Amino acid sequence: MISPGTLLNQEWYGSPQGREVLATLLHKSQQRRKTFGLLEKPMIGVHCPTDEVKYKVFLVGKSGVGKTSTVAKISGNAVPTAHSETPGIQTTTVYWAGQVKQLNKVIMFSLQFWDAGESATKKYDHILPACVAQTDCIIFLFSFVDRSSFEDVSQLITKMTTPKDTTCKIVIGTKFDQHAHSEITQRDIRDFEQNWKIPILKIRNVPDTEGRNHTNETSQILCVLCEHLWHRDIIMAGRSPSTDDLKDKQNFV
Amino acid sequence: MISVVVVFFYYIFSRRITIEPTCIVQTKIKTFLILKLILQLPFPVIGSLNGVHMFGSSHGVSLQSTTTDDAKIVWKVFHESITLIAVSQDDDADDCHMNNLLNLIASALVLLCGIDEVSNIKNVERFKKEVKVCMQLVDRILESPETSGFSQLTNAVDIICAPENAILQNFLDAFAEAAESGFGCLFVERKVCVATKKWWSMSANELVLLNLLLTSLTPCSSRDIPVFLPDTQPAIPHRLMTFELTRNIEVCVICGPSPSLAELEPEVVRFWKPAYDSLRTVGRLSPRNFPTNIALDHNLLGFLLVNKETNRCLHSVNPSLEDPSHLGETLSIHQRKEVLKTFYKKMVGNFFASSVSGSEMGPAEFSHQPMESYITTETHKCYTLQSGPYQIFTLYTDSIPTYAMRSVTQRTLSYLTKDKNVSV
Ligand SMILES: Nc1nc2c(ncn2[C@@H]2O[C@H](COP(=O)(O)OP(=O)(O)O)[C@@H](O)[C@H]2O)c(=O)[nH]1
Ligand SMILES: [Mg+2]
Repeated sequence: MISPGTLLNQEWYGSPQGREVLATLLHKSQQRRKTFGLLEKPMIGVHCPTDEVKYKVFLVGKSGVGKTSTVAKISGNAVPTAHSETPGIQTTTVYWAGQVKQLNKVIMFSLQFWDAGESATKKYDHILPACVAQTDCIIFLFSFVDRSSFEDVSQLITKMTTPKDTTCKIVIGTKFDQHAHSEITQRDIRDFEQNWKIPILKIRNVPDTEGRNHTNETSQILCVLCEHLWHRDIIMAGRSPSTDDLKDKQNFV
Repeated sequence: MISVVVVFFYYIFSRRITIEPTCIVQTKIKTFLILKLILQLPFPVIGSLNGVHMFGSSHGVSLQSTTTDDAKIVWKVFHESITLIAVSQDDDADDCHMNNLLNLIASALVLLCGIDEVSNIKNVERFKKEVKVCMQLVDRILESPETSGFSQLTNAVDIICAPENAILQNFLDAFAEAAESGFGCLFVERKVCVATKKWWSMSANELVLLNLLLTSLTPCSSRDIPVFLPDTQPAIPHRLMTFELTRNIEVCVICGPSPSLAELEPEVVRFWKPAYDSLRTVGRLSPRNFPTNIALDHNLLGFLLVNKETNRCLHSVNPSLEDPSHLGETLSIHQRKEVLKTFYKKMVGNFFASSVSGSEMGPAEFSHQPMESYITTETHKCYTLQSGPYQIFTLYTDSIPTYAMRSVTQRTLSYLTKDKNVSV
């Protein structure tokens, strides 16, 4: 497990350049992420060259755990208030930027989240293979107020990945706003992280009431996600990062 | 043994409701599926509403509707397996409008679950889980009239008519071909902008439901949703793929097993990038919804134009695109929508037959065919007339002289239907 800030420069977000890039990703109030249609991209000035890398991220977890809400929250869309099972597959592209320390270069991460409803996955054969195919990362979700969803996570990891496979793995605990009723202890989390070497992140998919703090929360999640994806690229390339790696990656994309 | 499921809705006009299956009561012969409601009716009331309907059917009588002092109750059985009961405020309108909503809800279940699941319920627990995918769509169908479009009322799909439609049609046809699909449609701000020939060949129910489905789901970049066409192919699952080109503008196709979502997505950018500016221009035309070169009477606050044959409807409650904060004394945008909807419900089913099924029964009782009608109030006036496949409903400020409404409405209809950029 890499600790936050190992690969991406955290100070950069506060720098003039970092703030300029963030301005292309957030609305003026900084309370919400901008959303981009498939024909659109963040418009970054020519004086700040960025390279774009694309990743596919698949979300798994039992029905009602908060997959759809988490994607809505992270992408800057309105979080659904009532649970409705997601029909079929739903993908959402989210942009996030970061400065890679070793390259001293700004990278635009294009993360495509894949979310599928449970009953569609069970009923139709094509849904799960489409989601799993060439995925770079799997996010396992559990709810802080549902112990069984937490226990499901270990099973899902064993079921969906092999020990050797290089897919990036992250766990997100939802409904953290209700942590007063949490059925999962700090200790559970520590044990899990030590055991699996997979980080557990927390999210509150509630409407933006506290403004900036909430974009901070999702920004931190995106940072961790991007850092792990970048780390995986380095490991897959099998050598320490160099500009060649980056070029390879781009050719690949 | 076929278990009968009673799905129950409490439908209130001024409030958006949220429903969710909560409890199941099983008896030897019947199974009730009760949907939780914000304003829940007590269980004995639900039981007696179902009981009185069952009592009738066991004596060969089909109970269709009744009214109390302030409420209206409508029953309808679908596929011999589901009874929908709707309770609403009594709106003094013909029952065809409530039945239309129930038809849409029943079709919504088929759209997302397939006819086999709906007509042959083997396991109620499973069915309860199945129908969860329909909840957002059902919520949208029952949405309050101030915010919803006109599709679910007229059973004709809302469209937007822009001068750019002609070129966008070419983009869409080419894209649908690349997707190996005959069915293609471009939605702009909850309305159909252009669609392929085959898309338009779908039934009115299907056109309306697909429109409502897309607007009911959480916004996202792309989707791959299994759907069944309730009227034409209710047993065969197709794949509805949608792509968000820019905010509130989505293109969608209905495909067989191929191409996959991942294969088609790169094509979207390739095919649609050159259309980006046109798409944005059409987006800006909403909520006017019709070309700016058509100048309508300044007394006109809004209109609804329905074509019974093509199952399309065009509405505008902001025909002069004025800033809503400058409306002053006149009706607000929400009020205009509501007034037009109420006026429509008064006319259709009582005097006019329209694309709403069952609306022909009331007018058939007359020895003649009413062609025009109007109402005047202290705040506004409404006029309607039918001509060929068209029915137009107009809303005016109270300053229009009553005698002028007829000719202004005729002229409005003619401007709208003769313009080359408008195809209702
Ligand atoms: N309070 C709270 N509710 C949440 C949170 N995440 C999801 N929910 C609710 O949980 C229900 C299920 O969420 P959804 O995203 O549809 O679950 P999915 O089936 O995994 O996609 C919805 O009613 C959400 O509003 C959260 O972080 N906090
Ligand atoms: Mg979901």
